[in-house]
Amino acid sequence: MQSQSFASRYLTMRREKIAHGWALAKRNKGCYLFLAPYAILFFTFYILPIATSIFYSFTYYNILEPARFIGLQNYVNLVLQDEVFLTSIKNTFVCAVIVGPIGYILSFLFAWFINELPKWLRAVAVIIFYAPSLGGGAYTVFNHLFRADAYGWLNSILMELGIINAPQLWLLDPRYMLPIVIIVSLWMSMGTGFLSFVAGLQSIDRSMYEAGYVDGVRNRWQELYHITLPSMKPMLLFGAVMSISSSFNISDVPRALCGFPSTDYAARTVVTHLFDYGFVRFEMGYASAIAVILFLAMILSKKAIAALLGRVGT
Amino acid sequence: MSENNTVRSSGTLQLINGKKYRGELVAGELGAAFYAKGQKEPMAEWHYARMNRMDNIRRGGTSSQITVILKDDTRYVFELAQGLKLHSQMDKHWVDKPVRAKTRGDILHEQAERLGQKIEVPKKHLVTRRHPNRSIGGDILVYLMLLLVAVAMVFPLVFMIGSALKPLDELLRIPPPVWPSHPTLDNFSDLFVTMGKSFVPFSRYLMNTIFITVVGTFGHLVVAGMAAFVLAKYDFPGNRLFFGLVTTCLMFSGYVTGIPNYLIMSNLGMVDTYWSLILPAFCAPIGMFLMKQFMDGLPTALIEAATIDGASRFKVFWSIVMPNVKPAWLTMIIFSVQGLWNNPATTLIYSEAKKPLVYALNQIQGQAVTNIARTGEVAAANMIIFIVPILIFIFSQSRILETMASSGIKD
Repeated sequence: MQSQSFASRYLTMRREKIAHGWALAKRNKGCYLFLAPYAILFFTFYILPIATSIFYSFTYYNILEPARFIGLQNYVNLVLQDEVFLTSIKNTFVCAVIVGPIGYILSFLFAWFINELPKWLRAVAVIIFYAPSLGGGAYTVFNHLFRADAYGWLNSILMELGIINAPQLWLLDPRYMLPIVIIVSLWMSMGTGFLSFVAGLQSIDRSMYEAGYVDGVRNRWQELYHITLPSMKPMLLFGAVMSISSSFNISDVPRALCGFPSTDYAARTVVTHLFDYGFVRFEMGYASAIAVILFLAMILSKKAIAALLGRVGT
Repeated sequence: MSENNTVRSSGTLQLINGKKYRGELVAGELGAAFYAKGQKEPMAEWHYARMNRMDNIRRGGTSSQITVILKDDTRYVFELAQGLKLHSQMDKHWVDKPVRAKTRGDILHEQAERLGQKIEVPKKHLVTRRHPNRSIGGDILVYLMLLLVAVAMVFPLVFMIGSALKPLDELLRIPPPVWPSHPTLDNFSDLFVTMGKSFVPFSRYLMNTIFITVVGTFGHLVVAGMAAFVLAKYDFPGNRLFFGLVTTCLMFSGYVTGIPNYLIMSNLGMVDTYWSLILPAFCAPIGMFLMKQFMDGLPTALIEAATIDGASRFKVFWSIVMPNVKPAWLTMIIFSVQGLWNNPATTLIYSEAKKPLVYALNQIQGQAVTNIARTGEVAAANMIIFIVPILIFIFSQSRILETMASSGIKD
């Protein structure tokens, strides 16, 4: 009896909620019209590709023949047979673990440091830090800095100093490739998130700091942890999303610097692997499986960071 | 009140009992006053010394609702119609100027001035020390580190610009100088000669890129602006869900969706047309995300007032909302240009005559690996690609930062 009344009450509530929603939708018909152009394009070019990826990841598909359903075979092959994939996973993981968090923390720290500079100096600093990620192909200059012959800047400097006596093949030697990719990616890691931090720090209410001095916040680190970070949470999450996006998508840098494919696949990342299978070998099903794994990894890391940020400063 | 330090903004004043009045808020050096519509005498007046707190007013530009709490705990809520115009720059929150109460120093200064004495004004510090709890040592350490990292960050860029200006003999010197002793523009003219010899003329590549960038950015502004407007300002079913999807898709960019995107494009018959680049740019999640977050800060009263006056929804959007969110436009433009200008479109466009500039310049880049004499030309090409987004950013930096202040993701 009791449970039935609960159920019926729940149903009435549901029905009312639906009726209310429907009325709201009817009243705001025009809104859907406004949203439609964006929504249609967004579904076509963002949601549909993700759905297609998931679908094709369970099939064998090479564009010429119709897709054939093969269940989880793609995923099984990825893990058990594809050694290059495991290398690329390892490389992407190393890159993501180093570039992601370090780039993220550095972006925040530098945004925080320049926050107290006078305005014009801050503007200059923002341009210096943001320029590498803003100017698309600027990283190709590293091709020149790390050239394999004596004209390369690093080689010539090291030879001048007598540290090495013959030019090193920086970008072709598997020992150096990954570290160089990481350095260049770090150089480019102060992107949109950095801008968000700079702006967010500027908009924190200064009376909070004044209250902090009265309450006995003794040094800058206490102030950072108890006042600054908690007020920055939304920007921190936005910055995290941006740095997940850039650190998992590292592919242009290794392709431009180390060649494609790179020596011994030493600079192979998941995205270059995906590119290889998708646009060079046309194994779309297999490439889709790689993409799905990447999607999952990104969503999981976002969830993890959101949970972590929830604890800061409390 | 002196005129030049006075700011006015029309808007509504709400009392604690919920009564609303339309009128004008005038803030000067010593206090502020609210004039109800058509009244000569102020309805309410305050002196800053008696004022406890002005909420929200320091948030860089996005909020225009202000709460004033007086010492006796009466409170007033303002909704400013032109709030954005008042504090449109991050460091110039308008109340910062008038809200400062007179200090003892000011009074002494005034006295001295009246007596005709001169007062030595201490020089302004390079670093304004707002925070009393900082140690000098820590500051020196922090700024030293900042300087070192800034030098390291800027070095590759300086090297690139230097190489672009180096004559051939300096390119071949060992070790290579960072900055040329005899800068020349030869590399740029060589670049144009090389490009002139290619199958498709240089101007064609340039026109392709400009067309794609301009059309893509303009469409993005309109399409994403419309969507952001209804998502921010109207409550309808599906609103939150849709915005949540967009927020998630901020992460998925470029190559990850590249393959299915190619399949979809070929089904739509758009491979090898400009549209394959332009249409996805229309719905770039980042621009729409930032626009929506920025529009959240617009006062709802502004839209309600216009709707009551009988403006259609499109009219509200086009002539009231869009002019008030100029900082967000510039931000959308910079992100959209950055994406389109730098997109080499290797997979979606294959006829040479439709390739963008970046693709053509990348082809020249390939030659530098084997031929050192070409490095100068490559650096020149790089500089051309690099300079456009940077220039746009330099000129719109303060507006972009104003938009980014509202970029946070709230759970």
